[in-house]
Amino acid sequence: MKKVNLGLIGLGYIGKVHLKNCLKLEQANLVAVSDISKKALKLADKTGIKKTFTDYHSLLKEPNIDAVIISLPTHLHAACAISAAEKGKHVFLEKPLARNSEEGKKIISAVRKNNIKLMVGYPFRFASAFHDLKRKMESGMLGEVQIAHAINVSTGPFFHRGQSGIPRPVPKWWFKKELTGGGALADLGSHMINLTRWFFGEVSSIKAYLGHRFNFDFEDHAICVADFSSGTKAIIDVGWFSQILTLGIELFGTVAHASAYHSSSSRILTAVQLLLGKTPKIYMPHRLELQHFLYCIKEDLQPSSNGDDALKDLEAIKQAYENQIQLQ
Amino acid sequence: MSLVSFVETPKNASHTMRQAILESLDLIGFSFRKETKNIVIKPNMCYYWDNSTGQTTDPKFVGTLIEIIREKTSSEANISIVESDASAMKCNYTFKFLGYEKIAKQYGIKLVNLSEVEAEPVKVMVRNQNFNFMVPQIIKNADLRINIPKIKYMELTKISCALKNIFGCNPYPKKFKYHSRLSETIVALNNILKFDLCIVDGIIVSGIQPRKLGLVMAGQDPVAIDAAASQIAGINPNSVRHIMLAASEGIGSPYYIPKGMNPHHFERKYPKKRLKHKLMTRGYKLIQFLGLENQLEY
Repeated sequence: MKKVNLGLIGLGYIGKVHLKNCLKLEQANLVAVSDISKKALKLADKTGIKKTFTDYHSLLKEPNIDAVIISLPTHLHAACAISAAEKGKHVFLEKPLARNSEEGKKIISAVRKNNIKLMVGYPFRFASAFHDLKRKMESGMLGEVQIAHAINVSTGPFFHRGQSGIPRPVPKWWFKKELTGGGALADLGSHMINLTRWFFGEVSSIKAYLGHRFNFDFEDHAICVADFSSGTKAIIDVGWFSQILTLGIELFGTVAHASAYHSSSSRILTAVQLLLGKTPKIYMPHRLELQHFLYCIKEDLQPSSNGDDALKDLEAIKQAYENQIQLQ
Repeated sequence: MSLVSFVETPKNASHTMRQAILESLDLIGFSFRKETKNIVIKPNMCYYWDNSTGQTTDPKFVGTLIEIIREKTSSEANISIVESDASAMKCNYTFKFLGYEKIAKQYGIKLVNLSEVEAEPVKVMVRNQNFNFMVPQIIKNADLRINIPKIKYMELTKISCALKNIFGCNPYPKKFKYHSRLSETIVALNNILKFDLCIVDGIIVSGIQPRKLGLVMAGQDPVAIDAAASQIAGINPNSVRHIMLAASEGIGSPYYIPKGMNPHHFERKYPKKRLKHKLMTRGYKLIQFLGLENQLEY
């Protein structure tokens, strides 16, 4: 079976996760990597990647690349994804689709025009805990889910470096709302809106309280109230203020309630897995989403989430920003 | 021997902070001079974590101290809060993030990024190792320098308090390069940047987790302060390289006379490392020794 030749664009935090996962994929060859940082490219060199570029346009000119993984800052998504589509490359694009729905629509239009696959990286649809919870809900054992609570609270971009606890630099673009498209709601809220849409259908209406603990013009936490086409009402809490990741969904049905959380293994187990070259539990969904992308390319299927799906997340976020709840 | 005061403030409220700061200064016999013109305050702002984590100085604590300084010195004294860029932290964002911009506006003081101000080269030697630093003029020319550190564990130095906080006065932003000889660097900087007063914001401390300790500790000898901080955190000061090195360089003495409350009261409450944490630290050091620490990043 022919392997898919991949190019990886962007070697920031999530780009490095994709790099390590790509090297473990049996269905793909990672043939080229690009990043503006030569220091970052040295990491790719060490893993045996033959071609590295400081300009992604050069990578896109490589004729043997079938698909690209784009893990660039959000403000660069549209330009890069459109260029890749125009070169006939299938695109795996990190979430969110773009800074706003206008940019998102341009990406989708280029994808359709060039008849390529577009998958937007929402890894938590591939987390086993959430799969099991969805199956439980769909079996009817909870009755009808009336209320749900989805939560994604973490450090956001302000996190420590792995096991050593040494602070990690925060790229400047994270501090500029015009480059990110928003704060914690755009960043973590897009994950949770995508995930809750997967559970409960389309968002009929959504409102949000936006909090500013850290004095910036972008929100560092948000509480959303959403109504879904299934009739379920959900509270979606997101925040960049906590040193510990809490990522989960709780479902309250007419018969029973159930919950699921995606979390890391213990520090010791994670360290052992890393030293043995295994994918730690926390990054397993990121690996599975790439496998799904490759499968969709081979079988000519629409990935989950595709462009249209991710555009709905952007539109829900826009609606949430427009319908703000004031608490004081 | 130096004096170190230990005062407990039961609640994290401005008026009790004020009483605690005043009492801690009285106990060591420190008084502000009316003619003081240029005052530099160095809080701990190591990263984008606010004071609730115990890792950075509470801006309310600094604000309360500024009120006291204004009353005791001339109302026209220039007060500057200083910090420098670090490998992972940009000062201009941190001032905003941690709430120091609000404090600056409220009290009419300056926020100074030491990585962006005039500085002059200074050479210093510690244990046959040469260091070249740029010393910011604003610190050099100040007639009162106040250090407001935190008490927290740090993997590289075991403990971080008064001496380590001065590491942040080095304007060079890529501080990661000093990590291989961090103790010597800390001592070298303390050799050339002498602070007149140290008031520790131990109201929330960072041990294995944050804890409301309610401690205000003051002294004029940073080595004595660090020795006391180590004891409170359950670490023998004799085992802390930068404390012993600072003592041998004549920066201060690890022996002190405690004033106020018994330091053991705070030592009992400090969230200390247990065997599990000590084993994990040993394990990490072994991984570092084997050159495998990069494998711990995914």
